[in-house]
Amino acid sequence: MHAYANPTRFLAIAKPLTPWLLGVGLLFVLGGAWAGLAMVPGDYKQGETARILYVHVPSAWLGMGGWTSLAIAGLVQLVWRHPLSGIAARAIAVPGMLFTALCLATGSIWGKPTWGTWWEWDGRMTSMLVLLFLYAGFIALTSGDANGAGGQRQGGSLSRGAAIYALVGAINIPIINRSVVWWNSLHQGPSITLGGSSIDNALLWPLGLTVLGFSLLFGAIVLMRMRRIIADNRVAARLRRLADEEE
Amino acid sequence: MTGVISGGGQWAYVAAAYGLTAVLTGAVLWTSWRAMKKAEKRSDALRRDRR
Repeated sequence: MHAYANPTRFLAIAKPLTPWLLGVGLLFVLGGAWAGLAMVPGDYKQGETARILYVHVPSAWLGMGGWTSLAIAGLVQLVWRHPLSGIAARAIAVPGMLFTALCLATGSIWGKPTWGTWWEWDGRMTSMLVLLFLYAGFIALTSGDANGAGGQRQGGSLSRGAAIYALVGAINIPIINRSVVWWNSLHQGPSITLGGSSIDNALLWPLGLTVLGFSLLFGAIVLMRMRRIIADNRVAARLRRLADEEE
Repeated sequence: MTGVISGGGQWAYVAAAYGLTAVLTGAVLWTSWRAMKKAEKRSDALRRDRR
């Protein structure tokens, strides 16, 4: 793993990988969305609104998966001072926040016709809203420039405080996951577990396509944002060197 | 029984969820791509100038 700590080695892989992730991700998302809208039947209880499942579940998965990855990157930064881990954490924050917001918005849109309300302060929805605020806090904490201001150090790595914030925020992930078991909720219980799925296969298969497709798009966004941060860092380093030479 | 709101009205909610997802995901993809290209162009130009 440490071999890829070098940004030049990382870019040699990231540059050809980015368009592939984008292209294949878009194909899977469009295929899954088309299947979810046109090929599968409506649910016998919820009718057509059950089709929101194919965008809501991938958003929830990526909102939670995004913070899990961000916390792992924070841990790697704290323990091994891996130069790319801080850059990865900063690159994950915006797409993570996007998918958390989409999870809340699509859930709310789904809630109105099925529950009769846009919002309820229950465990699942409130803990997901907390995750959205955690992302916003992390972005605010790390939005300094590449010269060491804000919650980052020179070279784009995280400050100690930002890395600890990422780790502490991870406590919310199991709370989100277990919220529908621990507390009474309008939200349904877990439909897909390690033991199997309570969703019929006739409705389930397009979900695999959209989960995989959105995950690939998430990866593409992270790679693009990492490449942008690395390029900005190189510009800042060269400008510093030029300024030193002129003095 | 098909939810609190049944019939054709349900499709408006489905369209809103899919539309919002497409617009926001597309916007983040587009801005990330543009920012990356702009930053890499600036970095390459500075490296060329140094030579």
